[in-house]
Amino acid sequence: MNSIVQGNIIRAIFILVVQLLLLKRIDITFESFNYIHFTIYPIIIALLPYKTSKTLVVAIGFLLGLFVDLFYDSLGIHAATCTLVAYLRPYMLNILSPVEGYKKDGLTAHGYGLPWFLSYIGIFMFICLFTLYSIEAFSFVYIKEIVLRTIFSFLASLFLIVIGQLIFNPKY
Amino acid sequence: MRNLIYLIIRFSAIVTFVILECVCFYLIVNYNKSQKEIWAHSSNLFTGGINKRLQNVYSFFDLQATNDSLLLENARLLETIINYRIGSEDNTFQNFEQSDSLVQYRLIPARVCSKTLHLRDNYISLCKGRNDGIEPGMGVVFEEGVVGIVKTVSSKYATVLLMLNSQSRISGKVKSKEYSGTLFWTSSDPNVLNMRNIPKHAEIAIGDTIVTSGYSVAFPPEIPIGKIKNFDLEGGGNDYSINVQLDYDLSSVDYVYVINFEDREEKTELIEEINE
Repeated sequence: MNSIVQGNIIRAIFILVVQLLLLKRIDITFESFNYIHFTIYPIIIALLPYKTSKTLVVAIGFLLGLFVDLFYDSLGIHAATCTLVAYLRPYMLNILSPVEGYKKDGLTAHGYGLPWFLSYIGIFMFICLFTLYSIEAFSFVYIKEIVLRTIFSFLASLFLIVIGQLIFNPKY
Repeated sequence: MRNLIYLIIRFSAIVTFVILECVCFYLIVNYNKSQKEIWAHSSNLFTGGINKRLQNVYSFFDLQATNDSLLLENARLLETIINYRIGSEDNTFQNFEQSDSLVQYRLIPARVCSKTLHLRDNYISLCKGRNDGIEPGMGVVFEEGVVGIVKTVSSKYATVLLMLNSQSRISGKVKSKEYSGTLFWTSSDPNVLNMRNIPKHAEIAIGDTIVTSGYSVAFPPEIPIGKIKNFDLEGGGNDYSINVQLDYDLSSVDYVYVINFEDREEKTELIEEINE
């Protein structure tokens, strides 16, 4: 049990360092095309052990988002997004429930296979990014921008996440 | 109580979620500039229409007060113009702004209570009287020109002898030509006055403007009255008989200004002395 908590904390710190010190500074712009932003830190919430209580997940999501907000100078935006996906996490897991149920605690590619992991993280990240950019724009007047940004950032971020999974292949 | 706690524990996830989201939105709207603006703007869009309608209703109740304040302001402006004109004639307008002693005419705004226009002797009554400083003999004007002269005054009301009255005598002159005469109302046409006592050597033409002369105590000079409609010499007389077309419609008078000439009593006494 302890090792699971430790592993999650270490992973969270590592992902946050990568996100805030590295990915935040990457700015891919071709003239007016600036829709690619790497956002991987929400997988900290996605990869929390299956048995973590719903309330705790929501609280962790809020604190994580707030922490990221401090670095992005956007107090509340990431917090709102993370709180939402943290709340929706159990419902996503319900939909994607494997035939034999969730027997292992770690929601990783190692535990449930790459296809399952891809669909889980795919849905999770898409909702996350769409919410994030919607709240950032704060008005559906900019729906075209929101959708473009979501799609391109989603593909870029998912690519990084999957590579990370394949490289580290964590048990939990 | 136990059930309540159980309920809260059971729904703790959604409760936490809702509370935290509210906190987030509070933070977003309060600490992010563009979101704050959009939020403020959107809430304006939502409440703006209601507010506007409410404001329309409220302003309807304020109309009377608004009218009164505008009337007061108008009176002050008109007062300034009249006194400034006199000051400029005496070449004292440079220090007009500083000196209050140069102000000769004060205007008292008043509302018309009732009026008659189609009788032989027409009067209007004002909703202000002696308590507001109105005295018999004062002139009454409105934005466009002369109305009449105050005839009788009670403590709260005043009766004004309209120009359209057989007893009305108003001292007028042909503007910029300095020929002065007296205006009567002899016709039955409420838009035409009769002017006499203009000597026949005067060069007047149809269309010349008639204004008050300023010789009487009732009116300051240069208050517009009308234009010359036509004129002829009275059989064998020395004076022209001039028909003056009024510039304005007296039936539209709702708010008037009573003119209080500061030296009125002194001037009246002097004239009475001559007459004795």
